[in-house]
Amino acid sequence: MAARRVGAGCWQRALWLGRRCRLPGGRESYRSSSSSTALGKTVDNSQVTQEEIVLPRRKTWDKLAVLQTLASTVNRDPTAAHYMFQDDPFLMPRNAVNSRLYSLSKESGRNAAKYIIKNFPQYFDKTFAEPNIPCLMPEALTPQTEGLSEEALRERIHLRMVKESVDMFDQLLQAGTPVSLETTNSLLDLLCFYGGGEPRPEKEQEEKEGLEEPEVNASEQKAPKKRFQRSSQSSGPKWRENNHAERIFKIMPERNAHSYCTMIRGMVKHEAYSKAYDTYIDLLNERHKADVHTFNALIRAVPYLKDRFTERWELAKDFLTQMAQQKVQPTLLTFNSVLKSLRRCGGVGRTMSLLVLKEMEALDIEPSLASYDHLLSVYYKGVDAPSSDIISEVLNEVEKRSFTAQDPDDASFFTTAMQVCCDLKDINLAYQVNKALEKGDNWKFLDVDRLNIYWSKFFSLLCMMEQIEVVLKWYKEMSSSLFYPTPKNILDLLQALDAANQLEVIPSVWEDVKQLGFGRRQDLLEEFLSLMSRDQHPSEIQLAFAKCAEEIKAVHEPAGQVQVPLEWTGSALGNVVVLFARAGRTQDAWKMMECFQKTNRIPTDKVMDEFLNCAKQTNCPDEAIKMVKLAASLGLLSSQRLKSRTEEEFELSETQKKALESIKWDGDSSDSDSDSDSSDSDRE
Amino acid sequence: STSSMLSKQKDKSAASKDGSPEGAAKKQEDGAGTPKQQLLDIIGDMKVEVSYRKKLQQLKASESKKQAMAKLEGPDSEGSVPQGVTEDTQRGKPLNPELVKAASAVASSLPRNKKQTESELLAQLRRHEETTDQQKKGGIINIRNVISEMTIKRQSPAQRGTRTSRRISLQLDEDDKRLRRERSSALSMDSRSLKVGKRLNIFTKASTEPEHALETVSSPTIWDLEFAKEVAAVTAQPPRNGFEEMIQWTKEGIMWEFPIDNEVGMEDDAEFHEHIFLEKHLEGFPKEGPIRHFMELVICGLSKNPYLSVKQKVEHIEWFQKYFEEKKELLQEI
Repeated sequence: MAARRVGAGCWQRALWLGRRCRLPGGRESYRSSSSSTALGKTVDNSQVTQEEIVLPRRKTWDKLAVLQTLASTVNRDPTAAHYMFQDDPFLMPRNAVNSRLYSLSKESGRNAAKYIIKNFPQYFDKTFAEPNIPCLMPEALTPQTEGLSEEALRERIHLRMVKESVDMFDQLLQAGTPVSLETTNSLLDLLCFYGGGEPRPEKEQEEKEGLEEPEVNASEQKAPKKRFQRSSQSSGPKWRENNHAERIFKIMPERNAHSYCTMIRGMVKHEAYSKAYDTYIDLLNERHKADVHTFNALIRAVPYLKDRFTERWELAKDFLTQMAQQKVQPTLLTFNSVLKSLRRCGGVGRTMSLLVLKEMEALDIEPSLASYDHLLSVYYKGVDAPSSDIISEVLNEVEKRSFTAQDPDDASFFTTAMQVCCDLKDINLAYQVNKALEKGDNWKFLDVDRLNIYWSKFFSLLCMMEQIEVVLKWYKEMSSSLFYPTPKNILDLLQALDAANQLEVIPSVWEDVKQLGFGRRQDLLEEFLSLMSRDQHPSEIQLAFAKCAEEIKAVHEPAGQVQVPLEWTGSALGNVVVLFARAGRTQDAWKMMECFQKTNRIPTDKVMDEFLNCAKQTNCPDEAIKMVKLAASLGLLSSQRLKSRTEEEFELSETQKKALESIKWDGDSSDSDSDSDSSDSDRE
Repeated sequence: STSSMLSKQKDKSAASKDGSPEGAAKKQEDGAGTPKQQLLDIIGDMKVEVSYRKKLQQLKASESKKQAMAKLEGPDSEGSVPQGVTEDTQRGKPLNPELVKAASAVASSLPRNKKQTESELLAQLRRHEETTDQQKKGGIINIRNVISEMTIKRQSPAQRGTRTSRRISLQLDEDDKRLRRERSSALSMDSRSLKVGKRLNIFTKASTEPEHALETVSSPTIWDLEFAKEVAAVTAQPPRNGFEEMIQWTKEGIMWEFPIDNEVGMEDDAEFHEHIFLEKHLEGFPKEGPIRHFMELVICGLSKNPYLSVKQKVEHIEWFQKYFEEKKELLQEI
């Protein structure tokens, strides 16, 4: 504490100096002027009383200004993973699965800590920090007021204790104390938000739901948990028949518009659409006025209320006209709900969505990213021959400004836009989307999962449309720092390399594939092998290819690990042989040839020719003979040709020649040697 | 491929234009064809709109001709009819002379009772304008009229073929069948634009603000709070570098705010000199002697004490003063 006082003392002295220099007063001002104090002083002394020093007006910065400026100077490091991971080569995630796992584990660690603090607050009562940091301290979640009263009920509602609130409400009613309309409405709010609550008999489930839901909803904020949260909401608690909310609604002595509205909103949220519509009719019959949120919910429910497209649009239009009649001002969310419903209206949607946008413009409501997302879906999902007019205009609008989130559906805009660019096969539009993403805060709309999807699609489009140098540049920059390539991306990359005739890059791609954890995917392995073995290459490349082939071979063999070895396919096996052969590794090639018999596959002619070439080059006539034997035993048509080739091209010793002669090639039986004599005598 | 198909359409219409040397080839604006072309279009229109809403069946034939009329007017004949029909702001006035001429042209080209057709057309046109006005003034919203309005008032820069197909696609989607999907979907993407186009005309802009400000006084409900949380979660991404992490911590209150003020959280009314320079409180004491000496030590200790407020220190000194005052008599005695 004493140190703080001394610190304040320095500022105080600076203030005195500042005062002498005629700087503006105030406690805070000297902080900025401490550096310019000396300057001001000297100037003042040199020009005694001649000129008045005109000092610029002091700017006020908020507390985050310095940090934000510094943050804006930092760019992405293409060699590092995301900041949230430990910056250690061993601990960096190497593929998308691990990335998600690590980020979720970090989040779960945080949640575990919060759980401990929440459930054992008695161990966290000392405040060490000065000033105190309230967000790290345990929250007071237990209700303070005891007893049976409306005050207690209100407190429980405030603390979001669903079950306790319902119990207390029932107790209050039984005791005869009337509960005010406002409190009942807030209880209804709570119940409708959390799905109406379970009816009494299933008590345990109710407890679990009551406890779990506040946590699930509270954790909505954390970005990495988004995936779980999304799935839980879609299969969230359904609105049950005669649940607590309905029951309480029925027994209310009086209801106002708020009661009806909150019931409607709850029903729509929990997928009881026709009930919501019925409740709305009741509201109209009671001559109440619905608020804008209720209308939004009803418009969202439209696709579930009607089947035909025109009927859906008509119903939505009805709601809108009723809004206008009741003088309820529409908001951005109203129009976003309309557009969302229009997504399920086919061609009607296409016609009407533009009208909706013009309406928004006429009312001076700026469309949010969600509006554009719905528009793109209406025009491009499921359409066979789309044109790029709409998306170009949308992108021209979007890239002009930095958006703030106004609608939870804003988050899917960029992935939808990139998908449309891929469908249209337009790389320039994709670049435009990227530019829009870089503007201001727009990058925040992509969470970790969507980021991967977005860049993965972009990379596929790149491979299809751009030159190989550009593709490789992007690949080096983006891979593992911005996104993790999917298997499809790798296949696209291989195709691009093939098209550009740069197959020598393949070994490095194979290294990446191993790191990404795709080294056991059959389709990828097939593609690699076929590309590598298709043509002859210079010898260093051939050696590198052979090394890859060896590693691929290892995947197919039982390695004593838990993993089951992959099944060989004929083409894969053949390609491996070819690659070994071209690199001059005769022994390895021969071992692979033996595999053919083991796995009941047939080598192609090309494979066997290559093997012979290899044997010739490395001067291994034994292997050649063995191969001819194998060919004969498998009953291949080409075995005769191979035999003659062996005789011609190799320098064979007498024993070898005899062995060669004794091979039977008509392939009647599998074991050649036993019947060889008789057949030879026949032939000769 | 879409553009090529569109251009094929253009060629087709151009060819048909050239191929029909019939008289009264009215070239109003771009996009308008010869009467033969109009006839073909009309037939196409009629084919489509037959299966449209039953209530509109009476209007079908005449509406299609009305359609041709609307197109003949050119790109200006949008819903905001006054722009196209220049001087006619009120209905009941005579129609645009061009319209009349066009009506007569069509009537002459049709193989029917020409006079009757022409009068029918004109009457229908007038009726149509009236409904337009009614709609504009926000009259009773008749669904039928709304839909008929929708068919008429289209964006005309589109090609004829695409416009036909658009109606075809409307028919398909209405019945949820996939009859001629390829053709419709292939041609349904005409040159639509976000800039040009009609609006729904359902809402009017909010005129007065104070009314609305009064309405939203109630405290935020659970719906509002949760929605705000959901929206905030959309852009809540993990920090990308150390500075962003520090920003997040500052927002949460975990980190000091820059520039660092080491008196944050400390409420102290007095300046530091009031804590340290306490001699002025010693005026009531004698200037020399043990009491003074004692009090100076007291003051020295108090000035180093960070835990007491100025008020408390002054109270201490005053207590001493009182104490010594009381004891003065005793001391004097001694």
